[in-house]
Amino acid sequence: MSLADELLADLEEAAEEEEGGSYGEEEEEPAIEDVQEETQLDLSGDSVKSIAKLWDSKMFAEIMMKIEEYISKQAKASEDIIHKFIRDKYSKRFPELESLVPNALDYIRTVKELGNSLDKCKNNENLQQILTNATIMVVSVTASTTQGQQLSEEELERLEEACDMALELNASKHRIYEYVESRMSFIAPNLSIIIGASTAAKIMGVAGGLTNLSKMPACNIMLLGAQRKTLSGFSSTSVLPHTGYIYHSDIVQSLPPDLRRKAARLVAAKCTLAARVDSFHESTEGKVGYELKDEIERKFDKWQEPPPVKQVKPLPAPLDGQRKKRGGRRYRKMKERLGLTEIRKQANRMSFGEIEEDAYQEDLGFSLGHLGKSGSGRVRQTQVNEATKARISKTLQRTLQKQSVVYGGKSTIRDRSSGTASSVAFTPLQGLEIVNPQAAEKKVAEANQKYFSSMAEFLKVKGEKSGITST
Amino acid sequence: MSFLLPKLSSKKAVDQAIKSTAEKVLVLRFGRDEDPVCLQLDDILSKTSSDLSKMAAIYLVDVDQTPVYTHYFDISYIPSTVFFFNGQHMKVDYGSPDHTKFVGSFKTKQDFIDLIEVIYRGAMRGKLIVQSPIDPKNIPKYDLLYQDI
Repeated sequence: MSLADELLADLEEAAEEEEGGSYGEEEEEPAIEDVQEETQLDLSGDSVKSIAKLWDSKMFAEIMMKIEEYISKQAKASEDIIHKFIRDKYSKRFPELESLVPNALDYIRTVKELGNSLDKCKNNENLQQILTNATIMVVSVTASTTQGQQLSEEELERLEEACDMALELNASKHRIYEYVESRMSFIAPNLSIIIGASTAAKIMGVAGGLTNLSKMPACNIMLLGAQRKTLSGFSSTSVLPHTGYIYHSDIVQSLPPDLRRKAARLVAAKCTLAARVDSFHESTEGKVGYELKDEIERKFDKWQEPPPVKQVKPLPAPLDGQRKKRGGRRYRKMKERLGLTEIRKQANRMSFGEIEEDAYQEDLGFSLGHLGKSGSGRVRQTQVNEATKARISKTLQRTLQKQSVVYGGKSTIRDRSSGTASSVAFTPLQGLEIVNPQAAEKKVAEANQKYFSSMAEFLKVKGEKSGITST
Repeated sequence: MSFLLPKLSSKKAVDQAIKSTAEKVLVLRFGRDEDPVCLQLDDILSKTSSDLSKMAAIYLVDVDQTPVYTHYFDISYIPSTVFFFNGQHMKVDYGSPDHTKFVGSFKTKQDFIDLIEVIYRGAMRGKLIVQSPIDPKNIPKYDLLYQDI
């Protein structure tokens, strides 16, 4: 009764028969879609028979439709529906199990094993095959403190039925995968050339058909088949995140571990192209597939080639290039800053016949020369040239200021008044008054700024309104 | 180490070397291969020769095989290193009594590299004597042997 055999038999009979049959059976397709929708709404129904309807009609459809459409309509949808159904039913008995075992298939198997009596968790060989030891431990602990109630016989029977159905569906899904694999090179030749028939079948199954696959962007295809985050405190470091079927395919796993993610991205991109080519049934011999595979191989080789040997260069000869000698007003001004200033000239000069202070030349040798001498015959002092002044940057200025900051205030530095002076005073009105000694000075400074500074503008003083007549 | 550097074994060879090196400092080490200080110096010379290949050419000369030059340069201590640039003998003031040659070994590779660079720069500017950049502490001290005076 194996479905795969049935399908094989049908396809081997004649393609013509299919074609002939498909014309008449096209009306079946909308009917089947209706059935599916019905089952989605019909979850309130206690019996599994509503889902069984889909099952029967599905069997019928398999015979008629091609394998692609079969995968797209069948696998995922119905399995999810059954899983939901079982979950709702079993949550009465053991609500926490759903969060502990997120994987649909494992959940259904566990439910089948445990049934009504949750004591079966301990030392159960079958369970050990389904779940990991860690999970079993958590499940048994939660089972001992569960809030659920025992199920009635009827409910139990229905659950059993649903579980069996789900498991059979799963088994048939596997068999279909196998069949699809064998037919993969006929369905999607280019895709199967790149990643192999089994991986191609898997991603096609998950995507829901070749057309759906061709519509997905490459980033999605890379993540098809990735395991969702397992909650309930289990470490997720052993499961690599964001790794789908493509990551675990042979071609990507053949590389060293650090190159695998990069390779998965590349392979996913090329698979997308191949899938699109296949969905249009172009390049049926797989020419595009071989080209893409060749590209992928070349890129893999390039990544894996060793780095080039480093050349040891001798030190370059210490030839400084010709310094830029430019003329013009700009450079003249720059030179002015550094040249000999008037003040320096005067300092360098010495008057004749007069003995300098530093006659024995014990000091550095810098003297004020003509500058320090009064009566050197000049009325005006030598002007300081602004251009040649030494400048410091703002940050340097600030740091110098900070260094030179002197702590102390009115009584210590400015007035140097008696040490008993303080800015706290007792007044008859307020009682205690604290005076800021600098406040008054600030006011004075402000007034000066307004009226007496050299930068102040003209101020208009409003005259009195009474008419002033000039005489 | 001395086997890594080219050797000059006759007066003609030395002449050839002096005449042929162009635009590079010519370093002639006068000494004997077996002498321990020479070995030290040779080690430094060979390790820096590839780095300095654009600036300098280094040769080893055995004092016993070229008595002419030994006498000409007045070599009484070994190893002695003499520098040339474009056939012109370069003098360097190390802070030691003899400016015409460097007596002894260098302390570090960097010292030697710095010295070569200074000689190169000076020579390119047309100077015949340059100031050594090596720390005087690292320069081996010796007393001048006055001969025939």
